[in-house]
Amino acid sequence: MLVSWNWLKEYLGDTDVTAQEAADLLGTHAFEVEEIEEKGGDTIIDLDILPNRSSDCLSHRGVARELASITGTPLANDPLATVPSLPETDLISVSIEDAEACPRFTASLITDVEIKESPDWLKARLEAIGQRPINNIVDATNYVMYAIGQPLHAYDAELFPQVDGAWQFVVRTATEGETVSLLPEGTSTEDRVVELTGTETLVVDGSNNTPIGLAGVKGGRFAGVHDGTTKVIIEAANWHPIRTRKTARPLGIITDAGKRFENEVTREMAAYAQTEIIKLILDIAGGELQGCVDTYLERVENQPVTVSVSKTNALLGLSLEATAMVDILTRIGSEVSIDGDTMTAIGPWERTDLNIEEDFIEEIGRLHGYDHVAAVVPEAAELSEMNKRHYYSEQVRRVLIARGFSEVITSSFRKKDTVQLRNALASDKSYLRSSLIKNITATLDKNAGFVDLLGATDTRVFEIGTVFTKSEDGVAEHVSLCLGVRLKQSGYSGKEDTVLTEMTAAIEEALGTNVDWSIEKGVTECNLTALLDTLADPTAYDPAAVGEEIVYQPFSTYQHMSRDIAMWITGDATPESVEAVLNDSAGDLRVRTTLVDQFEKDGRTSLAFRLVFQSNAKTLTDNEVNQIMETVYTAVAEKGWEVR
Amino acid sequence: MQTGHQHPLTKMIAEINSIFAELGFVFAEGPEVDTEHFNFDLLNVPKEHPARDMQDTFWFKDKDVAEPTVLRTQTSNVQVRHMQDHKPPIRIIAPGKVFRNEATDATHEAQFHQCEGLMVDKGIHMGHLKGTLEYFFERFLGGEVAVRFRPGFFPFVEPGVEVDMKILSGDSNLKGKWIEMMGAGMVHPNVLRNCNIDPEEYSGFAFGMGIDRLAVMKYGINDVRDLYTGDLRFVNQF
Repeated sequence: MLVSWNWLKEYLGDTDVTAQEAADLLGTHAFEVEEIEEKGGDTIIDLDILPNRSSDCLSHRGVARELASITGTPLANDPLATVPSLPETDLISVSIEDAEACPRFTASLITDVEIKESPDWLKARLEAIGQRPINNIVDATNYVMYAIGQPLHAYDAELFPQVDGAWQFVVRTATEGETVSLLPEGTSTEDRVVELTGTETLVVDGSNNTPIGLAGVKGGRFAGVHDGTTKVIIEAANWHPIRTRKTARPLGIITDAGKRFENEVTREMAAYAQTEIIKLILDIAGGELQGCVDTYLERVENQPVTVSVSKTNALLGLSLEATAMVDILTRIGSEVSIDGDTMTAIGPWERTDLNIEEDFIEEIGRLHGYDHVAAVVPEAAELSEMNKRHYYSEQVRRVLIARGFSEVITSSFRKKDTVQLRNALASDKSYLRSSLIKNITATLDKNAGFVDLLGATDTRVFEIGTVFTKSEDGVAEHVSLCLGVRLKQSGYSGKEDTVLTEMTAAIEEALGTNVDWSIEKGVTECNLTALLDTLADPTAYDPAAVGEEIVYQPFSTYQHMSRDIAMWITGDATPESVEAVLNDSAGDLRVRTTLVDQFEKDGRTSLAFRLVFQSNAKTLTDNEVNQIMETVYTAVAEKGWEVR
Repeated sequence: MQTGHQHPLTKMIAEINSIFAELGFVFAEGPEVDTEHFNFDLLNVPKEHPARDMQDTFWFKDKDVAEPTVLRTQTSNVQVRHMQDHKPPIRIIAPGKVFRNEATDATHEAQFHQCEGLMVDKGIHMGHLKGTLEYFFERFLGGEVAVRFRPGFFPFVEPGVEVDMKILSGDSNLKGKWIEMMGAGMVHPNVLRNCNIDPEEYSGFAFGMGIDRLAVMKYGINDVRDLYTGDLRFVNQF
């Protein structure tokens, strides 16, 4: 959430703390700071408000209160300090048919308002946190939400009829197939008409049963505030978190209001919000308050929670005095009493997240500061179990890597196979692999052309990974081992299966068991999970290299080119010294040199090298590589080596 | 014959296992396809809870499964299964592949590897979590390392923390910078109870780190998607 430092200071009062210091304190003790930016005489802090604090801290007052808890300096101006008292009216009638969905519904009627642009200070507040000002009434509802965290909605009272001298608000569950027109979104001017699934909660105009809003999520088109509005009804209700999700999620409508209710805004807040917005509207739009209704079906208050001093220290790894704990809990606004080892704490009324002992222990830990937690390495203990799958997988890896195989991990998703996902990421990733054979074949196809670049003579790969099939009970999975060989760059040559037979024999020998392989077109696979059942339990892991230093270089994706050069060498030249001459003359575009042939005839030695060229910036042309090779030939000739 | 190359992820998993085995942490594992019950419910992430939004989930079709089933979004399902089958003291790590239904880019893959850790015993506290992680990072990165906690929220732990790490010695270009590494915390009493462990008698810590992210840090990999393309120009550097 974007937070304006100027806005926070309204609540904090005069403070020596700078915006940067405040951000640092919040980062250490409360919320991650995504970004901090100075903008137009203000500093905007982007905070990642945690889900458990979205009920109270998706608001400037909440964040300011959090800073007050951290610094121990109480808020100078707290909009929530005075218990609200709302004058009543008979002009609005509220009927809640679904008390679970709507524990509280308040509404106020203000007449003779003038819709106009908001004053500059209000526009500046909203613009500072990325909100577009619309008109004074709508802006007031947004302002109060960003100020204290309670979403509100404004209706034009004249757009729906009174019955028996009162406007009729009804809260009920939607029926399947019912439609509702919603206010346009973003820059669109078109209403959005949605068809309901029947899980949503609606605010309805009781005179004719027309939905006027998706409860707690979004206001309806009907009865929205417009330029000519003079009578407004302001709704500040409390919506059940799960029921709000059931309203928002099926329709995919994620709003600032919905996010707050989903995280359980306290039921108490509605009346505070009415107090704030009435004050603000009378100030910026004029008019007269006719009164309010407050239908509060079920009040929920924070309950006392027993918090043990010794358990708090035991869980945090601290040795805090009880008085320090009481001080912290008092600072966050809890009522705390203490009797020996037992504290009894009631969380501040505006927070709905402090319900169990551990919740309070966390408050003590984070506000005291986790930097006080000293690191303790647990005493080493005997390994009580060995992981057989890991142990034997490592054995197989050793056998195969020693024989030139590289290990790959390929995608678990496929375009077509047996088990299909309900919600795939993309149409070509909608199934899960039932075998690794296709993946390994594709890996061979992809890598066969890189043989020169990698300085190899053929392509050998394997994968150990989970595959998925259908079974009577649902979806079954097992770990598969699959290996593949490609001898020629052009494709399967027919000789690969012989190589694989040797490899599978080597695996069988290492494991001391026979395995059922079917080798086809240079690829073979076996069920490693089933195989493990036949193997003895391991007693100790083989040591793994720890702390090995490897620095990865991003590879070029441009086509490489190979050139062979063969020569008769003279004197005391060695393959190494020749290679050095070649590399030196070939320059920076040479990425690999491989000795591909060496023989002696008539007392002379012939060496053949393959040079591979590749650029990080483009595909090299034949001409460019030929020019480099001319330099190489010249260098070789200067050494007196005869190019063959 | 040139020798082949081990994939950096399995190399790291072997290394992680080796380091944690020194402290007696067992390499535990569990299914990649698991029920909503094990992936979410037992981990104190109830249906319709906003915390579910933290992990976009792949679901299986109702006709294919007996109860709501997902591709696991975290290897925490292994923690729960292990705790149900074992009595404390418990020390496990659970490395493995996990899945999130999220758009992919150079730092995000829809499939990636995670390593969870769990220690449950009498008297386990946040200092043990810090000590264990410092021990791990110092061995894994070969040098002096500091670990710090910031407040975090994960439904399966309380208190919950974000863990940052800073390399203090050596000549790594990451030296001296705090790097966000993982989420962790003290196992939520509801999770312990769901696994028939009495939270009044036992406590525990849990952490979950991305192995792909470790690869980015340890080797300087610039695109995590390269880990899953089967490209030997990538793998053969390890």
